Amino acid sequence: MWQRSLRMRIVTAMNDREINGAVRRGVKTAVGILILLAVWQAAARTGIWSAYVLPPPAKVAKALAGMVESGVLFRHIGVSFRRVLEGFSIAFFMAMAGGIVVSQKPFAEEYYGGFLEFMRNVPPISLIALLILWFGIGETSKIIIIVLASFFPMYLNIRKGFVSGSRNLLEVGTVFGLSSWQKFCRIILPSAVPDILVGMRIGLGYSWRAIIGAEMIAAASGLGYLILDAQQMSRSDKVIAGIVTIGTVGILCDKLFLLVIHKVAKIWEEGGTE
Amino acid sequence: MKITDLKKGYQVSGRFLPVLKGLNLEVEEQGITVVLGRSGCGKTTLLRLIAGLEKADLGRIQWEEPKDDGLDGRTGHKTGVIFQEPRLMPWLTVEKNILFGVQNREQNLQPLLELTGLAGFEKARPSQLSGGMKQRAALARALAYEPDYLLMDEPFAALDYFTRAQMQQELLNIYKKQKKGILFVTHSIEEALTIGTHIVVLENGICEREYHLETLAFPRDLLSGQLIELKRELIERM
Repeated sequence: MWQRSLRMRIVTAMNDREINGAVRRGVKTAVGILILLAVWQAAARTGIWSAYVLPPPAKVAKALAGMVESGVLFRHIGVSFRRVLEGFSIAFFMAMAGGIVVSQKPFAEEYYGGFLEFMRNVPPISLIALLILWFGIGETSKIIIIVLASFFPMYLNIRKGFVSGSRNLLEVGTVFGLSSWQKFCRIILPSAVPDILVGMRIGLGYSWRAIIGAEMIAAASGLGYLILDAQQMSRSDKVIAGIVTIGTVGILCDKLFLLVIHKVAKIWEEGGTE
Repeated sequence: MKITDLKKGYQVSGRFLPVLKGLNLEVEEQGITVVLGRSGCGKTTLLRLIAGLEKADLGRIQWEEPKDDGLDGRTGHKTGVIFQEPRLMPWLTVEKNILFGVQNREQNLQPLLELTGLAGFEKARPSQLSGGMKQRAALARALAYEPDYLLMDEPFAALDYFTRAQMQQELLNIYKKQKKGILFVTHSIEEALTIGTHIVVLENGICEREYHLETLAFPRDLLSGQLIELKRELIERM
């Protein structure tokens, strides 16, 4: 009985500590944002820059509130989110396929490695003209930009996970007579999970960073379009509101992804997943 | 198992380095054969060749009663291997690690857990186990495979003196119960004298000499006159 009560007290104390830590972190973040807003407000007040060049925070907040109220912002977020998800998913499957090929047939990379290295150094935005020429101004070109931006960080991490799989563990598979495919499924893939998740997280961030480039291609909606349209209308407040929205949505996606990673890690931990 | 004229070398910095130089050896399938030698004399290479993890440059490894069950492509025998490190899958629990090489044989789990003293730890992760427990889990995994022969590559080398002595006794208990043939590689003379029924001294890539200790019962007293004498001889000649 006393053991249970002691355990409960320890668990409660741990939860309290975690909550306190989260609150403290939240307060620190809020203080940082408040300082930034104060500096921004002070700079806008000096009058050195016109309200067009540097709109005050209140004006940006008003523009943001207006877009929230009218529902325009959510429509743009929804469109961009769908594009990011589509581009990210395609890039992920391509990166996984590339990783599997490298892990099973390492010599194959000698044929396409050079091309990948070349493409990795080419900014996706530089391909916009060609993409429009080849794929038109529809969704395909936009998705390709996101795929190009998010593929390489994912591929490099996934490749690392698959290739650097412990040779020692693979020998255990050999001893038990596992086939190459069984070794991949039962040893290489599980041991690569941490690198795959890191790659996915970085890739998701890169997908959001590519949204402006993607929506530069004759888009009629999306957060990138919102910013570019506001720029053409000389609405700096809306440009900043769009940037704030992209950053916030990106952070939320990252947090959501982290949550999923923790869930997966927990299932891994508890279930001893094979 | 008969090993004939076994040769194996490696290319190191563009130079061929011979490790096994025509090794000949006959290993009993029921005893504990200990391969003893200094570091770099080719003990591990020999074990890896027998396990089928590497190919010999020349020579043959033949089992006396070939079993063409297709389970071990190279030798026709099912061999369980225990490496110097436990090599457990860190993402699997102890029970899943033990059953890694077999499928649908959960009924074998409990006796193995008891045999290796891991009962109660089946849901633990390798990271939660001590060095000795990890090595016991590796032993249980090899036994779950129901091998005809066990190959052990200095499995207790990384353990402290007391855990090592305990593991040696547990290995002897398992040997007495299961009567599996064991090929045990070590550089420790004491370990060889404690568990070996047949000691093979490896030197310069060949089998330098052999000692048959089948008549010495277990557990052995290393301070007995006979074993002290044998130890002295091994030290002088190695």
